[in-house]
Amino acid sequence: MSLIEYYPGHTFIHRLDPRVKILALLLTTTAIFISENFLVIGVICLTVFTLWLAARLPVRVLGRYFKLLLGLFTFVIIMQGLFLGGPTALVKPVIPAAVPLIGGLGRLSLEGVVFGILLSLRLIVLVALMPLVTMTTPIHLFALGLVRLGLPYRIAYTATTAINLIPTLEKEAAAIIAAQKMRGFTVFERGNFGQKLRAYPTLVVPLIIGAMRKAQLMGVAMDARAFGYSTRRTYVEDIKMTAGDRLVLAGVIGYNLAILVANFVL
Amino acid sequence: MAAELIRITGLSYRYPGSKKWALQDINLTVAPGELVALMGENGAGKTTLCQCLNGIIPHSRGGRLKGRVMVAGLDTATTLVARLALKVGMVLEDPETQLFTTLVKNEVAFGPENLGRPAGEIRRTITWALEVVGLQGYEERPPAALSGGQKQRLAIAAALAMQPQVLVLDEPTSQLDPVGSSEVLAVIRDLKERYGLTIVIATHDSETAAAFADRVCVLKEGRVLACDSPRVVFRDRELLRQAWVRPPQVAALADYIQARGVDLAGFPINLPEGRRMVTELL
Repeated sequence: MSLIEYYPGHTFIHRLDPRVKILALLLTTTAIFISENFLVIGVICLTVFTLWLAARLPVRVLGRYFKLLLGLFTFVIIMQGLFLGGPTALVKPVIPAAVPLIGGLGRLSLEGVVFGILLSLRLIVLVALMPLVTMTTPIHLFALGLVRLGLPYRIAYTATTAINLIPTLEKEAAAIIAAQKMRGFTVFERGNFGQKLRAYPTLVVPLIIGAMRKAQLMGVAMDARAFGYSTRRTYVEDIKMTAGDRLVLAGVIGYNLAILVANFVL
Repeated sequence: MAAELIRITGLSYRYPGSKKWALQDINLTVAPGELVALMGENGAGKTTLCQCLNGIIPHSRGGRLKGRVMVAGLDTATTLVARLALKVGMVLEDPETQLFTTLVKNEVAFGPENLGRPAGEIRRTITWALEVVGLQGYEERPPAALSGGQKQRLAIAAALAMQPQVLVLDEPTSQLDPVGSSEVLAVIRDLKERYGLTIVIATHDSETAAAFADRVCVLKEGRVLACDSPRVVFRDRELLRQAWVRPPQVAALADYIQARGVDLAGFPINLPEGRRMVTELL
């Protein structure tokens, strides 16, 4: 299961107007990028995870993605530690003096490591935030939300149709790997990093060619059903902003304003 | 305006970057309510001809087009595909790529929504179109969860929702199992007999052509070799051999019997006629 596939449910987050969810996503993402305070990021983290529970989304899936990102987090923290600089040295020198030529070089600063951790936390919140919208909104309502927010519907539909294609592509990639296995090609299972890297074109090339062919046919099918015919397109299932939706939107705006203020005060 | 719904005159077409003409000097008319089957081996030009009928050629594909294709009074070369979509519904070969929404009802609604029809009317259209293809009750299912035959019937419903005058089906059953295939053919028969829709179908299946078509057009290397009633076409062994078209089994049997010197009153091409022939002979 991916983090953008719709996860059916009947919680209040599922029922919320897609416009409110999209706006909340945009506002909170901005707030996260502005925040440089551990306490503030911590509060956002807590909010996001509470909402995950409220929407009854499978937290396990999120755990799997974090495991995948662990390498990235480590990399970010080490790189920031090495290159950001700062008065407090944690390890100095990083490379022992005994090593010829480059010995005695490198300095891991506490400030850098701390900033690296902050960046990683931001990433964690961002990764957890997006599914709160994508996993709780059917893709057609998501597209409709974008349209009602003023995005031209051709763009909204092209984007959401592309998202819709991801599971198909995943299936196709699995089929290609299976076909390769059947002919005794097991690099993707047993190969080392270098072998895998060299083998990737055998997977990616057919996948991309297949996707392009599919996209072209899909374009034909969409054209054949008058895609782009009228600027006044109608929607059989429309969305309506209720008083509750407005209240939630006001709450979201208030919350993000509070975060902004907290960043200045703390 | 003449009585025909489709008039193709002197149509030749070359794909971009290709030196070979995919279609050469095609002349064809289709009358309202007629069902015309396009037959021929792979690469004979069936798909290309189908795509000329709703303007995908030349608008989406580019390439060089000579001659004229008129559908319901519109010149396809100068009319937008989206506008032609009001006149010509299209069903493609692959049931997967032509369904791109998340729910069956949205798939059917997609066309009328693009036309800006009111929501109430679209809801009625969905009910009607799904009923015609026998998919009522499937509104809230995702198209991906349907069987091949159901997907292809959904594609037909989605095309019908535009209320076209002509339905073009490009090998609609070639990727389906026998059950799915017969489901789709039953729908096509219904559309012709009950709704009097004009239908152009590209197919490899001569049994289908023999059972449904008013006329069979045989293509080879982009040219129309013959365009006549199925009886005339399936009787012409030389023509079929030349175009690599397999005759219906009943016609092959009749041919075999005739070759043995037995005089047949008529030339049977489909199952009911074949049964009659055998009963008479016995």
